[in-house]
Amino acid sequence: MNIATPILTPIKLTAAETALVDAFTRQVGELPGDGMVLVARDNALDGIKTEGLPTRRVESWHYTDLRALLRAIPADTNAPFIEQRPGLVSNAFVLPVLNGKPDVKTSIDGVTIGSFRDRLMSDDHAHIEPRGSDDAIGRINTSFVRDGLVIDIADGTTLERPLELQLSQSAGQSHMRFAVSFGAQTKGTVIERHSSLSDDASLVSSVSDVVVGDGADILWIIFQAQGPVDTHLAQMNFKLGANAKLTLYVINTGGKLVRQEVHGVTVGEGSDFQMRGINLLGGDTHTDVTFTLGHDVPNTTSTEIIRNVIFDRARGVFQGQIRVAPDAQKTDARMACNTLLMSDDADFSAKPELEIFADDVQCGHGATVIDINATHLYYLMARGIPENKARGLLINAFVAEIVEELDDEQLVEALEDVISAWLDKHA
Amino acid sequence: MPAVQETIDQVRQIDVDQYKYGFETIIEMDKAPKGLSEEIIRFISAKKNEPEWMLEWRLDAYQRWLTMEEPTWARVDYPKIDFNDLYYYAAPKNQTGPMSIDDVDPELLRTYEKLGIPLREQEMLAGVQKSKIAVDAVFDSVSVVTTFKEELKKAGVIFMSISEAIREYPELIKQYLGTVVPTTDNFYATMNAAVFTDGSFVYVPKGVRCPMELSTYFRINEKGTGQFERTLIIAEEGAYVSYLEGCTAPQRDENQLHAAVVELIALDDAEIKYSTVQNWYPGDKDGKGGIYNFVTKRGDCRGKNSKISWTQVETGSAITWKYPSCILRGDNSRGEFYSIAVSNGYQQIDSGTKMIHLGKNTSSRIVAKGIAAGFSQNTYRGQVSAHRRATNTRNFTQCDSLLIGDKCGAHTVPYIEAKNSTAQFEHEATTSKISEDQLFYCLQRGIPEEAAIALIVNGFVKEVIQELPMEFAVEAQKLIGISLEGSVG
Repeated sequence: MNIATPILTPIKLTAAETALVDAFTRQVGELPGDGMVLVARDNALDGIKTEGLPTRRVESWHYTDLRALLRAIPADTNAPFIEQRPGLVSNAFVLPVLNGKPDVKTSIDGVTIGSFRDRLMSDDHAHIEPRGSDDAIGRINTSFVRDGLVIDIADGTTLERPLELQLSQSAGQSHMRFAVSFGAQTKGTVIERHSSLSDDASLVSSVSDVVVGDGADILWIIFQAQGPVDTHLAQMNFKLGANAKLTLYVINTGGKLVRQEVHGVTVGEGSDFQMRGINLLGGDTHTDVTFTLGHDVPNTTSTEIIRNVIFDRARGVFQGQIRVAPDAQKTDARMACNTLLMSDDADFSAKPELEIFADDVQCGHGATVIDINATHLYYLMARGIPENKARGLLINAFVAEIVEELDDEQLVEALEDVISAWLDKHA
Repeated sequence: MPAVQETIDQVRQIDVDQYKYGFETIIEMDKAPKGLSEEIIRFISAKKNEPEWMLEWRLDAYQRWLTMEEPTWARVDYPKIDFNDLYYYAAPKNQTGPMSIDDVDPELLRTYEKLGIPLREQEMLAGVQKSKIAVDAVFDSVSVVTTFKEELKKAGVIFMSISEAIREYPELIKQYLGTVVPTTDNFYATMNAAVFTDGSFVYVPKGVRCPMELSTYFRINEKGTGQFERTLIIAEEGAYVSYLEGCTAPQRDENQLHAAVVELIALDDAEIKYSTVQNWYPGDKDGKGGIYNFVTKRGDCRGKNSKISWTQVETGSAITWKYPSCILRGDNSRGEFYSIAVSNGYQQIDSGTKMIHLGKNTSSRIVAKGIAAGFSQNTYRGQVSAHRRATNTRNFTQCDSLLIGDKCGAHTVPYIEAKNSTAQFEHEATTSKISEDQLFYCLQRGIPEEAAIALIVNGFVKEVIQELPMEFAVEAQKLIGISLEGSVG
């Protein structure tokens, strides 16, 4: 062969990669867990050390060059003390995880709550392995995960009040993991709320593993409003049982560098997955929502609707992949991603993928990138509404539509307030 | 649904063995030794009687190629190719370039007759065919004959093999070759730049509407060869040309490589319409043999108000890796891509387009239809991007896939990138099987199942077929029939 084969040279680590490797060396003695947990941690860090963080060349990171974007890592020192805040909705049952440390309360009927730290200490085989070699969030989380929550909701339980996982950060780093299991026929709402309570930079990695049991009907809201200098790396992995229904809202209004991944599979027939996304992006930020869904069994349905509004120099990314397995006949999957690009310095990239191996299916996706409709604007302005206000109204309508699908009035109101407040500040 | 079950069975039974062009022409060939090296490139260049600068261009590309790696991102799976186990030059003995039809080996003429490609001008005129089509026939590494050259010349249109053009119009070649697909573009394009053997050259001068359809017919014949053609089409200000490309190959157990580069350049107000019916040998029903088709096709709408339109019907090849693209550089320019990709047997198609919006008020339209049957994998991969300064760009993309059978796969991978707030991009994709409602509607009206499915499939691809020139549309429709024979009547 005449073709020159590339010589494998060890990569030169970036400042952020070096900081991660050094932090691991410092922390490894006190990280919870031994046995397979420690092996998983070593392997994950070794991945970062030998391959580095992913670049554009890694297909699943095509639009988020983590290696270039993650420039520095905040120190892993103790963050200033913070207090629990009121819930997003007043009747929520709040489970605070402040600077990565959970306050474990167990006073809800049918719900068992424990700390993930205990699981790491007691179970050699706690599942913390990354999803694969391109799972940078997994690699970081697996290496450093210290705590989080283990929540089990017993079969047949109906949660009367929303459960709020209040994940607040004041500075430094938190690496958390949540194992949540909804038993058969359970019903309820979970609010996963990420916020920052200081101006200092923080790095958060948060991984949730959610199992939705047969016949359960769950609403899960991820509301991320971290600070303008924060890095937020989050991943949700879920499994849907037979006739189970999961409605997932992903709302991003903060963070400097954000990657929210959602990876799901249907494991029982008759299951339904609904996803709604709202990304309000401004400033000089980068927000990536990456979603994969495997329809692995017959007769399952899914719909995803993602709305993005992008101002200033912000960059938005949506990657959505729907896979239909060879035997998953009668799958019905629909995905839509609509974007309002409000500035010429902003940009948006989308990659909505379909990967279909079964023939008796209905699958579709749509993606649009547009400016505000001139006719709509004219209509409002002709009625004496000033241009900036008219624009605000139209943008609001574009995203509020998604929120209004919710049944819970309190929740709708709370989220509408979040949207209005954000738009007042940025539009 | 019984009809679809039947279709599945029939597709399975008949499969890709329907290939009609799998015969071999026994003719004495003149070949370069196997392998790829500087000597081989010098050999090709000398055979083509090329000027020194061309040889240097090739050698430079070869040096770059040595440092490159094969791309692996496409959704296709094949064993590693040994690039040194191929013949890079094979031509019928005594045929180093196009010659008068009377001097061409009669065996070759018979081949083209069998393929239904008319090479004799008078025959074409005498026949029922009303419109004239000029043909450049490329057999392995060499152009055999180019018809209607003189008549085209009267209109100012240059139509000849690229080897001749390099000798006769070196200035035009130097000015345009490699300006759309640079030699560094990608692994296969760089390889092509080093070893390309023949292809067509079209130059339509300012304000001229090319008086007839131009076409090139590519035939791979010799065992163990790769075909590396290079086509360059230039439409000067206000010019118009419609160009067709067809290709076939004999049935063999081994895989053969075809790595082409096509460059289109449209200046102000010019329009180029490029149509392909790709029917390379797809391999047998067990996935043995077939052509590896790794092609780089790109059009540059260099002038304002220019237009480039790609239409492709892809039914052949074991593996297709092909993304005819448009760079919309000129303001108000327009790019179009219409595609039907039919895969059967163990074929793998990864094809689509790129629409790169750089100029203001540029627009593009993509309509891609994929039909997958048998054990095939059919992927649409496309990119639409708007540059920061490209205001008021517009794109509409529609890609639909139809699956026949449950052992095949259809995939859609679009990349949508907007960097300008005035961009309007719309993308939609669907995958489905033949609708029961539509089928029921037809059956109810007494149309037999087979015919009903044919109707529905034809309706599905009609949008694309319509974009093909008349003579081709008929052939394309027939091809789709062959590829899905048993499922469509």
